[in-house]
Formats: sequence, C-alpha cells, structure tokens
Amino acid sequence: MNMLRVWPIVCQFGVGALLCLIGIWGGLRGGYLNLKTTEDRRLLIILIAGFLLMLAIVCFFTFLAPNWANGGTI
Amino acid sequence: MIAQVIGGKIDYTVMLFYFVAVLGFGLYFGRYTTTTKDFFFGGQRFSWWLISFSCVATVVGSYSFIKYSTVGFKYGISSTQSYLNDWFWMPILVLVWIPIIYYMKIQSIPEYLERRFDKKTRIAATFIILLYLVGYIGINLITLGKTLHTLLGWQIMTGAIVTAVAVALYVYIGGQTAVIMTDLVQGIILLIAGLGLFAVAIYHFGGFGKFWALLPKEHKYAFSDFNAPPNFSFIGIYVQDGLANTGALMLMHQGFIMRFLSLKSVRDSRRMVVCWILVLAPLAAIATSCGGWIARALVNNGEASIEPSDAFVKAAHFLCSPGVFGFVLAALTAALMSTADTLINAVSAIFVNDIWRPYVKPGSSDKHYLRVARITSLCAAGLGLALVPIFMKDTIYGAHSMFTAAVTPPVLTAIFLGIIWKRYTPAAAFITITGGAVLIGLSFIWPDLLVGPFDFGMGPDSYKFMRALFGLSAAVTLGISVTLFTKPKAEAKLKGLVAGTQIDAMRNFKGGQPNLRPGEKVRLKAKIDQSLAGNDTVILPQSALDKMAAEPGDLLYASHTRWWYGGLRSVHLKAGLPAAEHNESMLISPEDAATAHFTDGQQVIVEKII
Repeated sequence: MNMLRVWPIVCQFGVGALLCLIGIWGGLRGGYLNLKTTEDRRLLIILIAGFLLMLAIVCFFTFLAPNWANGGTI
Repeated sequence: MIAQVIGGKIDYTVMLFYFVAVLGFGLYFGRYTTTTKDFFFGGQRFSWWLISFSCVATVVGSYSFIKYSTVGFKYGISSTQSYLNDWFWMPILVLVWIPIIYYMKIQSIPEYLERRFDKKTRIAATFIILLYLVGYIGINLITLGKTLHTLLGWQIMTGAIVTAVAVALYVYIGGQTAVIMTDLVQGIILLIAGLGLFAVAIYHFGGFGKFWALLPKEHKYAFSDFNAPPNFSFIGIYVQDGLANTGALMLMHQGFIMRFLSLKSVRDSRRMVVCWILVLAPLAAIATSCGGWIARALVNNGEASIEPSDAFVKAAHFLCSPGVFGFVLAALTAALMSTADTLINAVSAIFVNDIWRPYVKPGSSDKHYLRVARITSLCAAGLGLALVPIFMKDTIYGAHSMFTAAVTPPVLTAIFLGIIWKRYTPAAAFITITGGAVLIGLSFIWPDLLVGPFDFGMGPDSYKFMRALFGLSAAVTLGISVTLFTKPKAEAKLKGLVAGTQIDAMRNFKGGQPNLRPGEKVRLKAKIDQSLAGNDTVILPQSALDKMAAEPGDLLYASHTRWWYGGLRSVHLKAGLPAAEHNESMLISPEDAATAHFTDGQQVIVEKII
C-alpha cells in the first residue's frame, strides 16, 4: 500500500474527527444539544452519517476507482 | 485574438442578457431595503433553502471555475479535495457559532471580539478582516477580467471595472436582500451549467466508463500525494484551504455571518448547513472542476489541444452549441457576481458597524448609516479594483492561496479559541491577532527560517501554502502561552459568548426563558388591527397557541403561505395574550403587516421560534 495515499486520509479525517468532537462537546456542554429530543438526536446522526459518507467516498476514490482503468470491473 | 475564436454573437447576446437580467433582478429587491437591518441582514427572515443556495453561490467564485478546472486538468479529481473539509466544521458552526452570534444579536466579527475580549482586540481584527475581504474582492475581479480577456479580448482591468460597477450598483440599491435573491438565481445557474456540461461530456465520450478510461491513473485519486508536488501537495492544500480558508469562511467571513443572520431562526441553520455542505457543495465541486477533467479527456482522446488555464472555457466551447456556450459563460459571470456582491456588502457592514458608528459618527439616525453603508459599497468595489494589478503578478490559484494563508490564521485562531475556551484571555486574544500577524509578515522576509521548518521537505515552492500552518501554529502557541500568564474575563461576562452558554444567549435573545417545547405550524387569517399600532405583539386564538405549544411572550414568525417566497414576505412577532373570541384570525399591527407585505384578510402561516 502506498502510504503517501493513505496519510492524507488519516490526516484529514483525524483532524476532522477532532473538530467534530469539539463542536459536539460545545453543543452538549450547557445542554444546548439535548439528546433527549428527537430533533437533536437526528442532527447527531446526520453529523456522523455525513462524516462516514465522506470517508467512504474518499476511500472509494483512493483504493478502488483509480484501478478501474478501462471501464471494466474494478 | 482568442476572442475572435471563442464564442459567437449569440453567446455574447445570451451572456449580456443574463448580465442585465441579474442586474435588474437585484435592483428590483431594493424596495425591500429601508433600514440598515434590511441592508445588512435582509430583515432576518429567510428560509433555509434560500440561504443554502446563496451560500453555494458565494463559495463558488468565478475564480473557482477557472482555478479548479486548471488544477483538475493538471491533477485530476483531487481538484475537489478542498471541498471535502467543510463537513468537519459543521458541528462547531451549527452547535456553537451560529447560536452565539444569532442569539447575542452580534452584527459583525469585530463586535463579537469586543464583547468576548476587549476594544483593542476589536480594532486589530477590524483591519485584518477588512484586508481579507477587500483582497477577496480583488481576486474575484481579476478572474473575471482574465476570463473576459480570453473571450472578448478586453483588457483585464476593463473587464474587472465593468463587473465591479454592475455588482456595486445592485448591492448599493438592494443590499443583503438583493444579494440573497440574486445569489439564489446564480447558484442554480452555475450548478445547472457545470453539471450540465459534465453530463454532455459523458454523453460525448460514450459513457462514464469511457470518460474515466481517458484519464491517466494519477488523475483518479481523491487526494494528491501527501507532500508532492510542492504547489499542489495534499498537506499544502489541506492546511491552506481545509484549515485556514474553510475555517475562515465558517467563522470569520463577515459575508457568511450576515447570511447566517438572515435566516428566520437558528433551527433553520441546521437544515441550511446540511443542505449546503452535504448536498450542494459536493455538486458545486464537480461543477467547478469538471471543465478540467473534460479538457484532459479531450486532449487524451486527440480531439483538442488545450492549455490548463483555458481548460474550462475551451472544454465548454468544444462541447456546447452556440447559445448554450453563452449560458455557460453566464454561469461564470454568475459565479463572480455572487461572490463579489457578498464581499462588498460585508465590507460595508464592517465599516459602518465597526468604524463609522462607534468612532466617526455615533448616535446618528438609521437613515444616515444606511446612506454611509451604500456609499461604502461603492468604495469597497473601488478598493478591490485597486488590488487587481497586484494579483496579476501570480496565477489565480497561487494569488488566492498566498492571500488566504497569510491573512486568516491570527483572527481565525482568536475566534476559535474564544468560542471554545472560557479561560482564553483578552490579552491573549490581542497578542494572538497582532503577534500572529507580525510573525506572518516576518515570514515573507525570512521565509526559509520561519516557514521552512513547516514545509514537509517540499521547499520554497510550497511556502505560499505552508505559511498557513506556520501562521496557525504561531497564533495558537501565542494564544495558549499568554493565556496561562494572564487573567481571564469574569465568567458572568462571558454568558452567551462561549460554548456551554448558548442557553444564556437564547435568554438574551428572547428576553426571558426560551420555550423549547416542540409545536406545529398553524394557518391563520391576518387581520390588521389599528389598536395594535406601535406594538409588535400579535393576538392569536388559544387553539393556535396550543397547537404551536406557545405561550404569551414567545417569539413567533408569520409568513406568506407560498413557500417559494422563502421568507421574503414574513415578519417576527411576539405572542400576546390569547384572543377572547374563538376564530382563526391573527390580529397584527399595521407596521408589522407592512413589513411582511401582508394584506388584510390574507392567509398566513405562523410558527413558534423560541
């Protein structure tokens, strides 16, 4: 595995996770983000789902799609 | 000249028609602007979807099409990598930053810095933010100047002047409402044009597989290599665009702050940000970059000979029939105007709120400040034009990267630490901003000494990107060190201004305990009641209050029943004591009815805000 291709994912999603955690912590602290309400729980789920979706897209275009050279199978 | 090769009369007619139409559209909304609140914040009444589109239009500048298509041509789909960072800022934005600025009724970043820290921090930040915004205007103007030079053979400065005058004119008259409404149209147009071009290209090549096969393998990665090449390495782009620039867009860009404050409620900001960052921004990333990918595929297919900097325009010209090409050119114009208008309005807001109102002429009438705001809009466009010759010396990508990497880190760091860390002191914030700016300035004199240690072995070619990492590191180090040796502000004075105190901010906004019980919207008939004149209270039936889970004193929002107005015809109100009679009417004062453009007997939708 070419680590020069892996480090960007580690770096971006590592620092990204930290930023997300700081934001969620900032919401939970003081009760502004109240996980007892449906709306706030849904927001948290969307946040995590968005993060995972981005990660999946990036992994696809790093480990799979570049090998799909001629329109055949990956 | 290239101008005689690219495009035909019909293309330029379409482009001119678009230009005039947007100008007229923007000028039409001037009638909604009668106060500085309207001019800067559009009356705080817009729906989430409208602001989402306008945010995309603002993020996508004309430099985006040219810049990202150029790197897309050179490096492939990794040209979209900088768009992948926005999501990570989303929790801080919707859970901390927007509630703070909205509920504390903060009108500008410098104002926040004064309330959170002190006056001298506000003054220092005002100058840096103005520099940032005016520089951004310059970058946008030079891009369209260059594009018009390629298309029409005009001098770069001539193209920049023509567009600056047009944008300044509709901002002058229509303010934020004109900006939002024109940006909605422009956001839709640039997405249709960019994605339409991509769809046409796929059809031209005979399917996505064939298009994909025409790209070199190195062009198919989501990210460029970690530290190569120096002028497009992952780490360089990440620190400059992902951290400094995206952070600045989210936290210190006055244009975006004003856009967030234009929303009808903080709750709407959640939907707005999700739609903007998760749906529209990725589409915009494809729309702006695909010109470069298509151009590369055309070259590899032996169909065209294209230079990187012409990738978007040449690819569009190759694939589009006359007239349609003009529409694509209109999208380029749209991208420029939709970014420049926001920036011009933002400069005006900062000048009026942070310089004119507090220091030059305090205590004047709102009419006076509105006049100053309008004149400042024209001056901001003029200042942006003055910077065009400076940015001409570099590539667009290079100029943009160098500028954002150099200007944003100190203020961004001060805001970031200010909202998440109660202990962060006023003295530390001042040193973060001024000391950070000085160190970044020194990095231009001694780049090898200061930026060199942060270059990941890439050498001087990477400095314009890696300066952002140096700047962020220097600002954070200064901020933390000074905080440890200075006295923090009393906690009581930080209520509503830092993470953990958003509920206090809500109390401040409402003037009482927020009502967070979930309720429903109700449909009522607006009846203008002269006895309520001079009073922003509305009288509703008890049944409507029950359905909304609202109580007397709660803040409400009444809007036209047609959703596609997007809040243009709406108003914020306060619930009064319930009506004695059982009917389905909302009694409203003549002033509020006029603000919302409601007529007597009209059906409206009412919802509880807080």
